[in-house]
Amino acid sequence: MIRAGVKRGTAELAVLSILEDGPLHGYEMARRIEEQTKGALRFTLAALYPMLYRMEQRGWIRGAWETSGSGRRRRCYRLTPAGKKKLSPLRREWAELFGALRRLTKVSHA
Amino acid sequence: MRDWREFVQSKLAELALPPGTKADVVDELAAHLEETYAELRKQGMTEDAAARSALSQVKDWHKLQRKIQNARIKEITMTNRVKQFWLPGLLTFTISMVLLELVQKFFPQPFILHLDHPPVLLFYVPWLLTLPLAGALGACLSKQAGGSRGMTLLSSAFPVLPLAAIFLMAIPVRLVLSHTLSHGIVAAAFLTLGVEWVAVPALVLLVGGFLAQFLLSRRSDSRRIASS
Repeated sequence: MIRAGVKRGTAELAVLSILEDGPLHGYEMARRIEEQTKGALRFTLAALYPMLYRMEQRGWIRGAWETSGSGRRRRCYRLTPAGKKKLSPLRREWAELFGALRRLTKVSHA
Repeated sequence: MRDWREFVQSKLAELALPPGTKADVVDELAAHLEETYAELRKQGMTEDAAARSALSQVKDWHKLQRKIQNARIKEITMTNRVKQFWLPGLLTFTISMVLLELVQKFFPQPFILHLDHPPVLLFYVPWLLTLPLAGALGACLSKQAGGSRGMTLLSSAFPVLPLAAIFLMAIPVRLVLSHTLSHGIVAAAFLTLGVEWVAVPALVLLVGGFLAQFLLSRRSDSRRIASS
């Protein structure tokens, strides 16, 4: 059963998945998501940060200030154990949604 | 080179978060805009075009401000209440009780105020003289934790709140239960105790709280002027 909030969940899935590879700051996160989805998923600043803060509040990710080699301060986010736990059901729901859409579109085209 | 931090700060001026959290949000968004701008410049855009493109990520700053606040506020409400009210308040309470203990030990004789009619009011003047310091300390701690004006003053007057609550609960109970004494005597006794242990100490604590708040506001005003 695909729950109603799955659409919003896809954005959260994208963030959790990209952070699975390692900690990233907001700008880099948005850039990599856009790059890896070939521009299909784009996060503007206005969409990204409220979501990151909400996910942080839920305990799925944790942000901490870090200073890069060039001396630039950035807030890097990493997955928490709760975030890792959340990733599998989100992936399953997303796969289920994809499967359902695929079946639906095949029927429509038949 | 644009000052992105100042720009974001001006756009999120009404973001009602504690100073530290707000500064973190401003720094983070400014860093994002700065990196977007730098990347676009690297791609060959002119300064103006790159700035316009970076800023096009946010259509409505008020909406963004509201969304950030909603996302952050639940997380920090509890923490804030502890930092801005309970901790300063309990510290003020402890200090004022220790001061009362010391005053009663070293200056055991209270000042007695005879009014035209009994009852008589008793005050520990040395204690009352030290209370503004306790009130000011509570106000300072609350203010530094980002407490509002009301929260700051409430923290400074915290020591009398438990007593006020006891009086408010005890008066009606006592009036109902006291059959042997007239209600007038019971009410007068409570009134006297209320003035001695709640009203006057609260007033003195608030004097300290107001003074601290005034001085802290002036200091932050002068800092703002110096930085602008």
